[in-house]
Amino acid sequence: MSYVTLSGVSKFYGDVPAVKILDLEIQQGEFFSLLGPSGCGKSTTLRMLAGFVKPTSGDIIINNRDMTHLPPEHRNIGIVFQNYAIFPHLNVFENIAFGLRMRKTANDAIKQKVEAVLEQVGLSGYENRFQRELSGGQQQRVALARVLVIRPEILLLDEPLSALDKKMREEMKYWIKGIQQQTGITTVYVTHDQGEALTMSDRIAVMNEGAILQIGSPSEIYEVPKSRFVGEFIGESNTVTLPLGTEKDGYLGVRIGGVDLMARRAPETPENLGTGTILIRPENMILSDTAGQDATPVKGRIRSETYQGALIRYEIEVDEAVLVAEVHNTPELVTRQSGDDIWFGWHPDSGVILPD
Amino acid sequence: MERDIPIFLKIAAVLGFVYLLAPIFVVVLAGFNSSDFLSFPPDGFSLRWIKKFLSSDKYMTSFLFSFRLAFMTMVVATVLGTIAAIFLSRSAFRGKGLLRTFFLSPLVLPGVVVGLSLYAFYLSTGIGLVRTVWGLWIGHILYSTPYVIGTVGAALAVYDVSVEEAARSLGASPWKAFWKVTFPNISSGIQAGSIFAFIVSFGQFEVSLFLSAPNNEPLPIAMYNSLRYKFEPDAAAAGIFAITLVIASVLLTNRLVNLHKMAGGRLK
Repeated sequence: MSYVTLSGVSKFYGDVPAVKILDLEIQQGEFFSLLGPSGCGKSTTLRMLAGFVKPTSGDIIINNRDMTHLPPEHRNIGIVFQNYAIFPHLNVFENIAFGLRMRKTANDAIKQKVEAVLEQVGLSGYENRFQRELSGGQQQRVALARVLVIRPEILLLDEPLSALDKKMREEMKYWIKGIQQQTGITTVYVTHDQGEALTMSDRIAVMNEGAILQIGSPSEIYEVPKSRFVGEFIGESNTVTLPLGTEKDGYLGVRIGGVDLMARRAPETPENLGTGTILIRPENMILSDTAGQDATPVKGRIRSETYQGALIRYEIEVDEAVLVAEVHNTPELVTRQSGDDIWFGWHPDSGVILPD
Repeated sequence: MERDIPIFLKIAAVLGFVYLLAPIFVVVLAGFNSSDFLSFPPDGFSLRWIKKFLSSDKYMTSFLFSFRLAFMTMVVATVLGTIAAIFLSRSAFRGKGLLRTFFLSPLVLPGVVVGLSLYAFYLSTGIGLVRTVWGLWIGHILYSTPYVIGTVGAALAVYDVSVEEAARSLGASPWKAFWKVTFPNISSGIQAGSIFAFIVSFGQFEVSLFLSAPNNEPLPIAMYNSLRYKFEPDAAAAGIFAITLVIASVLLTNRLVNLHKMAGGRLK
């Protein structure tokens, strides 16, 4: 039995669906991300879990309790908002004590618990500060402490890193994940940033237009996308439509540059397609400057070379298509010119034939 | 910073202040005039009209009546205006824009129109409010509430709803979340709005003209009636007291709002 269950949950505003029928199971202690572009329904789903939005249909069960019709204050859920929502009129201590005061905790216990959680988030000594005296990162720590102190059954995080600058975001990403692992709290994380989702999550649900397109571990989502949307939304990818050839050893031939390269079918790709959409990650492109290599049978032409520090990015023309390749920048790497011939290929497992 | 302001702007500002304050200055001087008539420049300094005002039953009664009326108006307008502002800021109701315009319409309608309409309404429906304290009170509430809606609405516009939602998810009922979190964060807007409501009601003339009864005359009406028959400076003396009361309430607002800022800014 899973810890959080959403079954047949939907939310319509009039005739407009924010979330179409949604079925979701989250395990205890899991770090689960809802990933998608803005307007995909991820925030609405989170707000339904929190109790701020009433589902149009379906049931929400958390820890064996039916939460569907409970107001937020009876759910024992912790939520951290995008802008942290620190109470401006209360200092850090009272912000964190708020949930405990609502639970009528004794003053001694409040003091002890608040101090312990401040220690945990690294803000001891900040008790008397107010919101405007805290940096974005500190406000985020307060927001998280305020939630952790009530020991919620699940932790909901609504784009908590989007208001921070890039450096802080990187730091907080690992910090939040660390806190989550220490406390073992079941966490639902909403984000539009695929990098955050890949780094932090145990599992990811990719959403678009109010529906879940794919649920899986970060590596499943990244390596075996079930659809073009998922493949293109997560990471950088080449997607080209090519004629398909014959099947061999469970792989399917893809005709490119007059050569058959092997690729695998995504789980829901139908058989007997004439042409197919192939997804290949730039870092999985294998390049060679000489003809006749087994791993790089296709001949193309360099269109551009871009220096990116750790990586060098090439655009390669072949037939009518342009493919992007990225290789690690090493001292042995030769400089290639626009117009140079190049031979490329890929490992059969890294080319994915998508259903659409 | 001040040095950067061009001289012509400074002159314009001084002229603006003179334009706004000159009539008040005249009234104050006229109230301390020793002459028998309302005149300017004054003939000499005297407290006789101040004394006359303070010993005049008619003026003292209407001054106290206006004060009570303004206070009662403030109480009701503050409650109604705050509730209306919260509804307008929170509701997803489609006709909201229209409703806001409707609520705020007394701000733009001439007071004469509001007064006359209410008078006609009381008269034609026969609900017993014609020239009664209740009818006058309702008129003043109608006229003052938009100011509360405006100031509380402005406070709510900069208040982030997720702050209240955070309180809810931490275990606060809607009622508690409002009083413990939302209210303290919009209270400066509520205070400013309530003092506005008081001042607007205290100085209200047109609506009162149609709705007040001879035995319950607010101060502006009493002054007007008095000046119609005799041109005596005791009306100016009454004006001094009205101005003093308004200035006192403005200073009070300022102090409340400043105190609020001080309470917030003290740890900076």
